[in-house]
Amino acid sequence: MTREEFENNRRRFGDDIDAWPAPLKGPALAFMALEGDAGADAALDRLVRQAALVEGDDRALARKVMARIDRGAARPSLLPRFLVAPAGIAVCAAALLVTATIAGYQVARLQDQPQDSELLALATGVRLPDDGGPGIAADPGEGDAL
Amino acid sequence: MPAAVRDEASHGDEELLARIAAGSQAALSALMARHGRGLRTFATRYLGHAADAEDVVQEVFVTVWKQAARFDPGRARASTWLYRITANRCIDQRRRRALRNFFGLDDIGEEPAALEANAETATAARQELAIVRDGLSRLPERQRMALLLRAVGELDIAAIAEVMGASAGSVEQLLVRGRRALRDHLADAAGGRERKSS
Repeated sequence: MTREEFENNRRRFGDDIDAWPAPLKGPALAFMALEGDAGADAALDRLVRQAALVEGDDRALARKVMARIDRGAARPSLLPRFLVAPAGIAVCAAALLVTATIAGYQVARLQDQPQDSELLALATGVRLPDDGGPGIAADPGEGDAL
Repeated sequence: MPAAVRDEASHGDEELLARIAAGSQAALSALMARHGRGLRTFATRYLGHAADAEDVVQEVFVTVWKQAARFDPGRARASTWLYRITANRCIDQRRRRALRNFFGLDDIGEEPAALEANAETATAARQELAIVRDGLSRLPERQRMALLLRAVGELDIAAIAEVMGASAGSVEQLLVRGRRALRDHLADAAGGRERKSS
């Protein structure tokens, strides 16, 4: 809408844009919003309000909310709902992962518990006999030192 | 509208919340009749997804039913409280959808604004509104939220700051930037139309 058209419409329909015919309201508000004068922000807000309007069934909304409230009252616990929610699934997966990790460490530790003699041999660089014999205890240097 | 709901409709929002806290379903219906459309509009335009918005608004009123006793009229107006719950639910819903999209559990979200922009070229007025919707959908999330709270919720700067958990100064900045971007979008569209017609 040009300034000339806007002024013509204003002379014809008055200053109150709400009283203008519906097809002219949007272009008039857009014109006012773009003009940049004192009422530009208010005009833009009104244009946004008009543009944003969504058709919907208010009664259906009320019915659905009441049904959810009734279902909620009958539900004994929130836990099952939580478990099927994305956050619940993520928490369960994380808990499972942590449990599996700890269990894995425990099993590996039981299977591969190093003996004191093995650790001492590693530290001193002495080779243990393959048959798991006396090893360090039989180190000939030990007797000399004493 | 049932008589009980009609009776409740004469009460103010704060009083309705007090009655909801006392267990009045008629008061909840009256509150839904008063604010349901505004909250649905806000959620739909913020999320860009009508089904998600419908779900969010239902959740909001279920929350109101359960938590009405926690509303403190000394801290905020009832409408601010309602929009705050809605904004938080919208943010949660957006994250859930982003997560589902990431894992490929959802189709790409519907874009009602874009669809309408094509369908609504019949009259200039409708086209103007479609351009605004398109511009809104392109704004950064926080600018869009601030503009919608101002225009649809008719909240003042302090209330928007309360809803968004931001300072009044940053809300003003968001509004200035959002309005500027929207004006630029409108001006571009108007320029494009003039070029086409000439």
